[in-house]
Amino acid sequence: MSFDLQRIIESKREMRRKLAGRPVAEKLAMLDALRDRARTILKAATRLETALLRESQPEYRVNPRKD
Amino acid sequence: MAASSFSSAGKKIDVSIDQIISLINRMEADGIVERYAIGGAVGATFYLEPVATLDVDIFVAVPQKPGQVLLDLRPIHDYLTARGGVVEGEYIVLAGWPVQFLPPTSPLVEEALADAVTVDVDGTPARVFTAEHLAAVALQTGRAKNKARLLQFVEAGMLKAERFQAILARHGLVDRWREFERTFLRTMP
Repeated sequence: MSFDLQRIIESKREMRRKLAGRPVAEKLAMLDALRDRARTILKAATRLETALLRESQPEYRVNPRKD
Repeated sequence: MAASSFSSAGKKIDVSIDQIISLINRMEADGIVERYAIGGAVGATFYLEPVATLDVDIFVAVPQKPGQVLLDLRPIHDYLTARGGVVEGEYIVLAGWPVQFLPPTSPLVEEALADAVTVDVDGTPARVFTAEHLAAVALQTGRAKNKARLLQFVEAGMLKAERFQAILARHGLVDRWREFERTFLRTMP
């Protein structure tokens, strides 16, 4: 599979240019939707972080000292 | 304008930024604020591609009583809570969006507020900082996300060089801009 990073960057730039040129009302509506998605991702990320913390806990478990 | 919807405590609520803009316009017409302008990521969206943000920054000039030193944002909160807004810490939640009202904290922001332009959003007028002021404020604020926004403005060719440079000179930001150029723009294609 060929991987032309320059072409990928240019296509991303082109997409951003197109989006920037859309009517303001449309872009503000996109913000509403983006925020909706960001909230969902944040919630999922928080759940993931909690799960990871729970999983990594045993690494820090120490055996009680037997003096 | 199409509204998106989100679930809050299992309840679907329609939310849309244009509702906030209409409410703020009314608040200005009713004399609660002397002038407002949208800044931050939402302001940048007027010029650039939309970028996800969780809140709306609205800069306001509020009427001050003689001898008053501290700005009192209570009239804004009172006005908006009477119209369905909910105060949550530093924010007031309007139409599902946390909105932060910010008084101008520097001469640059004062100027940005005075020079803000009115943009028609599907028949609703919305006042927003100019692209050059948004970029200058981003440079002055200087956090990583502000620098990223500034880069977007530069990449998109949204800044009128002469106007931007004049703002930087007026507000002592020329050295900071040179540093920014050295760090981020030398290698730009």
